[in-house]
Amino acid sequence: MIHSGNVRAPDEELAMHYAREFYGRRQESHRLWVVARDAITELDDPDLLNPPFDRSFKRPGGYLIKHKLEAAKARANAPAGTEGSE
Amino acid sequence: MNDFAHRLPDATREALAELLLAIADDEFVIGFWDSEWTGIAPMLEEDVATSSISQDEIGHARALYELLAELTGQDADEIAFGRRPEAYRHAALMNHPRTDWAFTVARRYLYETADAVRLEALARSSHEPLAQLAAKMRREERYHLMHLDTWLRRLAGSDAARERLAAALRMLWADALAVFSPVPDEELLVRGGELPEPMATLRSRWLEQVSPVLAGLGLPGPTSDDLTVAADDGRTRRTDAFRWLHGEFTMVAASERGATW
Repeated sequence: MIHSGNVRAPDEELAMHYAREFYGRRQESHRLWVVARDAITELDDPDLLNPPFDRSFKRPGGYLIKHKLEAAKARANAPAGTEGSE
Repeated sequence: MNDFAHRLPDATREALAELLLAIADDEFVIGFWDSEWTGIAPMLEEDVATSSISQDEIGHARALYELLAELTGQDADEIAFGRRPEAYRHAALMNHPRTDWAFTVARRYLYETADAVRLEALARSSHEPLAQLAAKMRREERYHLMHLDTWLRRLAGSDAARERLAAALRMLWADALAVFSPVPDEELLVRGGELPEPMATLRSRWLEQVSPVLAGLGLPGPTSDDLTVAADDGRTRRTDAFRWLHGEFTMVAASERGATW
């Protein structure tokens, strides 16, 4: 389920029609879910979403693997029988 | 001309060409009228919806003009843009200008419901390319019908809007019935199954479906005068409003005849 965007409509029926026009008329959708704004449970607490510590390690980009990758490639290309010689 | 066209007797082919032209022009002209709402529809979302539905209709017109072009050996663009206003064959319903939103909803509701009855019949046409195209169009027209049905019920729910809808319907009924004006030599098409049922039969079916819906919303059906108005010129009468629209939609094509894009 991906959030495609918002529409403004006076009722559910027109909201569905407009969702179809905005997010389905170019055949880019297989299914659409339309939910009224007041039926959405919102989480916007910054302590829960953006805590103050460094969280870069939670993201793939937070790891520097360049050197590890180079070492792994070197090992893979090394002649047979020389693994583990470092 | 393709194989299907070759198999038809000349007179039948000519009648079929008239039928295709009538339907194509209906779709083409209503598509252009309602595209006039682009930028000024009642709200942004409806602006996109109306524009998109209008584009769909022009897409249907294009497919129909191409079918006609195959049948007669003409060029589809030339049929669409190369004729004088008097040579268009849309129903008188499409002679009226865009007017206000209630008028647009009233006209579109009448047209979409009539078109649905017509397409249901054409999907059974013995002319296989037409049957296939009608079946394809029906899948897209389903949404048009849903959308217009929603708007009709919505506007009928408030006194001021219902009064405007009713006034538009009273003005439009006689011209809406022209959607089912018989095409020239229609009996040949009914005999050959290209048009599976006479227009008069389709007209009755449409009225049976639509009248109770409108009555239930407190909206007027056709008067006895509307029903007896001569249908012979229902697809040949043209108005200044249409001549203006024709000037608009042929403007670019007329600036350089035969240009390719």
